[in-house]
Amino acid sequence: MSESAGANAPKPSSSVKLVLLGEAAVGKSSLVLRFVNNDFQENKEPTIGAAFLTQKCSLPTRTIKFEIWDTAGQERFASLAPMYYRNAQAALVVYDVTKPSSLTKAKHWVAELQRQASPGIVIALVGNKLDLTNDGGDSSAAAAAEAESEPTSGEGEDNAAGEGEEQDTASGDSRKVSTREASSYADEEGLLFFETSAKTGANVVDVFTAIANAIPESSLKTGRGGAGTGQTALGGRSGDDSRVNLGDRNAATAKEGCAC
Amino acid sequence: MIPWSSFVQKAQSLIDPANFNIPSLSSPDGTPSKATLFRQQFRLPDSQNPLQEITADLVLPLPNSSSGSGEGSRRVDRAGNRYTGRLHLSERFICFSTQPTSFLPSATTSASTNFTGQTHGTGPSGNGFTLPLSCIRRVERLHSASHVFSLALTTWNGLLNKQQEPNFTPQRLILQLVGSRQACERFCDTLKKGLREGMKEVDNLRLVVTDCYSEYLLSGAKTKALETGEGDGRQPPDAGLGMLFRYPGDARKLRDRSKMRLWGEYFRENGRNATLVRQPTFHKLIRVGLPNRLRGEIWELASGSLFLRIRSPKLYQETLAKFEGQESLAIDEIEKDLNRSLPEYPGFQSEEGISRLRRVLTAYSWTNAEIGYCQAMNIVVAALLIYMSEAQAFFLLSVLCDRLVPGYYSTTMYGTLLDQKVFESLVEKTMPVLWEHLTKTDVQLSVVSLPWFLSLYINSMPLVFAFRVLDVFFLEGPKVLFQVGLAILRINGEELLDVQDDGSFISILKTYFSRLDESAHPRSENPKLRAITRFQELMVVAFKEFSGITHSTIEEQREKHKGAVLENIENFAKRTSIRNLGPESKRLSVDDLGTIYDRFYETLYQWQQQQNILEEERKRQEKKKSERLSILGPPADREVGRVGLGPSPTHMDYNAFREFMAATAKWAVSDSPAASRSDSSSGFGSLKGNNKSLLWANRRQPADHEFMQRLYRKWASDPEEGLSLQNVVNGLARLKGSPDIMNNINYFFDLFDDNGNGQVDREGILKISEAFLFLSRRGFDGTINATQSLEDLNSPRDRDHAEQNTLTTEERFLGSVSAFIRRCFEYADPSHPENRKASLQDATAEATDKLESFAIGDDEEDLIDVDDSKPTQPAESNTTHKPSESSSGEPARPRSESANPALDPNNPLHITLPTFRMVILADELLEQFFESYFPQSFHLSDHPHPASLAASSSLSSNLTTFSNIGSARPSNLSSAGSVSVGAPGGIVPPGKGLRGVLDNIVTDGIRMAAEVKKRMDEAQRDLERNALGRDEDDDEDEDDDELRRDSTAAAAMAGGISSWGAGAYGADMERRSVRDADRDLLEGAEVLSVREKGEGSSLLDGKEDTETKSQNGSKGAGASSSPHDSEVVSKVVEFES
Repeated sequence: MSESAGANAPKPSSSVKLVLLGEAAVGKSSLVLRFVNNDFQENKEPTIGAAFLTQKCSLPTRTIKFEIWDTAGQERFASLAPMYYRNAQAALVVYDVTKPSSLTKAKHWVAELQRQASPGIVIALVGNKLDLTNDGGDSSAAAAAEAESEPTSGEGEDNAAGEGEEQDTASGDSRKVSTREASSYADEEGLLFFETSAKTGANVVDVFTAIANAIPESSLKTGRGGAGTGQTALGGRSGDDSRVNLGDRNAATAKEGCAC
Repeated sequence: MIPWSSFVQKAQSLIDPANFNIPSLSSPDGTPSKATLFRQQFRLPDSQNPLQEITADLVLPLPNSSSGSGEGSRRVDRAGNRYTGRLHLSERFICFSTQPTSFLPSATTSASTNFTGQTHGTGPSGNGFTLPLSCIRRVERLHSASHVFSLALTTWNGLLNKQQEPNFTPQRLILQLVGSRQACERFCDTLKKGLREGMKEVDNLRLVVTDCYSEYLLSGAKTKALETGEGDGRQPPDAGLGMLFRYPGDARKLRDRSKMRLWGEYFRENGRNATLVRQPTFHKLIRVGLPNRLRGEIWELASGSLFLRIRSPKLYQETLAKFEGQESLAIDEIEKDLNRSLPEYPGFQSEEGISRLRRVLTAYSWTNAEIGYCQAMNIVVAALLIYMSEAQAFFLLSVLCDRLVPGYYSTTMYGTLLDQKVFESLVEKTMPVLWEHLTKTDVQLSVVSLPWFLSLYINSMPLVFAFRVLDVFFLEGPKVLFQVGLAILRINGEELLDVQDDGSFISILKTYFSRLDESAHPRSENPKLRAITRFQELMVVAFKEFSGITHSTIEEQREKHKGAVLENIENFAKRTSIRNLGPESKRLSVDDLGTIYDRFYETLYQWQQQQNILEEERKRQEKKKSERLSILGPPADREVGRVGLGPSPTHMDYNAFREFMAATAKWAVSDSPAASRSDSSSGFGSLKGNNKSLLWANRRQPADHEFMQRLYRKWASDPEEGLSLQNVVNGLARLKGSPDIMNNINYFFDLFDDNGNGQVDREGILKISEAFLFLSRRGFDGTINATQSLEDLNSPRDRDHAEQNTLTTEERFLGSVSAFIRRCFEYADPSHPENRKASLQDATAEATDKLESFAIGDDEEDLIDVDDSKPTQPAESNTTHKPSESSSGEPARPRSESANPALDPNNPLHITLPTFRMVILADELLEQFFESYFPQSFHLSDHPHPASLAASSSLSSNLTTFSNIGSARPSNLSSAGSVSVGAPGGIVPPGKGLRGVLDNIVTDGIRMAAEVKKRMDEAQRDLERNALGRDEDDDEDEDDDELRRDSTAAAAMAGGISSWGAGAYGADMERRSVRDADRDLLEGAEVLSVREKGEGSSLLDGKEDTETKSQNGSKGAGASSSPHDSEVVSKVVEFES
């Protein structure tokens, strides 16, 4: 729970169903963990079917509560995906900047969502594992966050700032998918585009903030599914209380990332 | 006691589902076989079949500690406990159950699988035993006064250990067979045979049994070791990681020690591991939770995986050794999850635990490559490994995947999705209010419950409780998962009714799971009530309140939802697959791709079904006895190959490719269905002789032609491996995807460019012409018209040559093909790279290049003149000689100039692509052939031809026959596609009527091309013999005398092949039809039965249709719904008149 939400005058709050899709081991769960808990783990419990987490994101005018469905990445779980992206208002399609095949898979997911998911779904294409590249090598999340504002900014702008720890490859840059390639694809398809590092935290919160901003007001009003406007408003509030122990209390990330 | 038990018996018979007439929703082929039911009931390996069964009484000696309770059909008499039930015998097992079991062939799942039904005290298989025959040490026939046929079985129980156990008495089971003397004798004979076989397995048994903790427990001195927790003297057998890292939960709180004592007592009285006899106490002991060290052993006993281990005790180690060092995708996936499997359990924070997990998952992924590895298996196996050895976990995993949770971990996870659907429908049925609320608030239940099922509650509940669920699950089967799930929702029902979204839904259940150990009634005055934990409450609700949820309920529901679930998966797979086809596929429309996809998998599916039938047939004939490769073997009644069910074949071989093409292009349909009604007796003879023809007899026959082989090789990236969907799509995209005629010509040329050097030799030229005829022999569907559009074909208002229309395009095409050959030879380049010729070649190439670039117009015009004049003449006079005269007259120049070198074997020649292009473009019909007909002959998503529709209706009725044999694909699947599967190619009706005549002409043309080739070879030999001593014209004359028809071809050939087409149909018609009938007799006689049965009505319709049309003056081909039929017919009518 973001304390800021309580500190300010009550802002309209609405929940947004967000689904994460992408090839196995691109770091979907890690992105969520970073966003929700501001944490990073090497060994996480595997995602069986899908994991569910919530996190609030406070915007100047409203509060968005993300209901995040983090899906399993293994190929065969793909046939379960329609169950999870049903009614989703936003999707994070994640790929690994060091693995070109994962971008291909991401494109498939984008196509699948565009054709099968609810119309008007906000899709963000996210290239993760920026920490394995030269331009994302710094382990300081803050620095990356400053630098992020230009996702298309050239590669290698601050080479090897702090990559020594993690990188033992000779070149130090494992990037295999260029920013340009992915971002031009994202432009074509009308997707939000970010490159992130769940490990360093670079850009992670920005992704969610951008999505929160991109969700049209209209779709927020109707809320999810066929529950109807009134019920959603009610449900939103009662949900806050009941979900205290579900969404993690550690909202530090949300505080610093979401403009509040 | 006795009245009570008889009352219970009566009650049981009343609640026996077999006595209810439960309407089975399962499809006819969903009825499991008797053998399947039998194996399921006794948890036997798939190699077992029910051989004998007889009613019998099982008499057990009165236990030392009489813990009698009036259970079921047990009667206590002086001799001990007596059970009445059924005694069964399979190849390697003798099984006894008090549950009424009948494995009649007509038995449905609901009627005969009640073993997993209501579990009031008896549980699955009731009371009784499942003994491997190798466990039996001695069988005695007892001479009792009562004249009953009594057998005394003495088992190896407790005797396989070297050490003598204290207070040990050998296990002796008395069976009193109830039945006629003969029946008893028969049973005993089979038993004797089985026992002899069983003796071979005693060593295996000893090996496995000594690993069992029960043996260790019972070997007296070890009781002390158990108490201290340390083994002294003998090392205790591996009872899982728990022995090293402690078992989860508080052993004292779980009352582990007293449970252990109870089990020890039970084992002593009723046998242990393989020789255990199930009495009511057994089921009770499982319900209260298993003691840690026995848990693994009871799991494998209850699930039947123990029997697999006895069968091949070394399989696990052997598998590991066999594949050591090899890599696979599954192994990569496993590696990723090793550190994430029950990470909070200390055993899996150590290398020991991790490597055990790795080995078991890896070994299984090798033995079942179809499943490989699925996330969630890591969690399940990790849980198993806490309580059992690696080998035990390996076999138990196998039973899990094959039987207990079928399809859960398959590559499509259809089992998981299916059971979610089943669960949802059960919730709807049992808790309608909650269900309505969930629907209203749009909370998707399966999103929450899926992990429960997929990981068997292991990562949902605290481990101690999850294991309690597993205890019952392994004994009673998958219904337990449903019962527990329903109970969870029922208990939390009120809270869940307040829920408005997924989040709070999950939150409530999470909280509930974390408080399972708390009192269910914390505020109760009654201390006993207070002592009941929430988990106990859950178990009571699950097994009492939802006792109505039986195995048959689940099976019925599965059957009901299976179609929809599979269809969803297949649609998803199709979408995904088509999207993944890459840039090449973008040249085809999405509909086309969809059609290709459907047809591709349909073909593979059908093909595999046939292979399966063949295989089964073969097995039946061989009476194959050897064991299957897979541990359990694939379930017998599975629809192998369906996309939704998991890994299905992804490549088609040449034969399947032919099937595919037959469904795609009508030229790929064999001529055999067009066979005349030839001798049917010979047809049936061949049916019996050849299984394959029996199967094919019910289908359209795919043609086999050299051209198809070329196409196959061209499309395949690896012809050995077969064609993948990608190959097929690329191939079709190449042909259909671009409207570019040059592209198609090039492609065609490439097909025949065997050496890849850009040259096609004489042989190749003839092959090409054969291919032209092959491709065109079923007509052009109006895609090709000689300088006429479809509409004015029959109204030649602006044509000077009205008589042209008396010729069909098909006939004129024959002329074009002959012209093609002639021109090819005319413009061919000599192959020998002698200096002079090489320069000549260059010059020629240059010339042709020039021709191609700017001289084509002239050339074309010129040649068309030849072409136009040619076919008109034979139409005027239907004589054989006239065309040849005309041909010998006009194209005299080419004959003298090019025909000679063409036939000269010392003068090898070839054409290049530019030449080929030129020759094609020189002919209007050939040009159109490449421009429209050839690419359009591949029918994808555009409307199928009426003729083919008729064929498809007969086809589908034939398919029904297949479904009777084994497994049918739900019809809704085939209709789901935009085009009815299998239809589009189109069958040309059998050779009656006018169409048949034309077909014969075309077929003959093809044969003639072959003849021409043959004659060319002969000519070559002649030339060699006579050293150019003879003139070709003589040759021609001679041939003419010998074989008039063939000579026509030869003459045409020699004379520049100008009038082939005319000659072909101008030849003696009657004679040809006779010959054709003869040929049909040889080729396609077996098709007769199909035609009579399947196609009868549709063909009649078609015929009427054509007749009406022809009477109507044969017009409006374009507007007609069946342009193809009417067009051809009309032309033939004109031709005849």
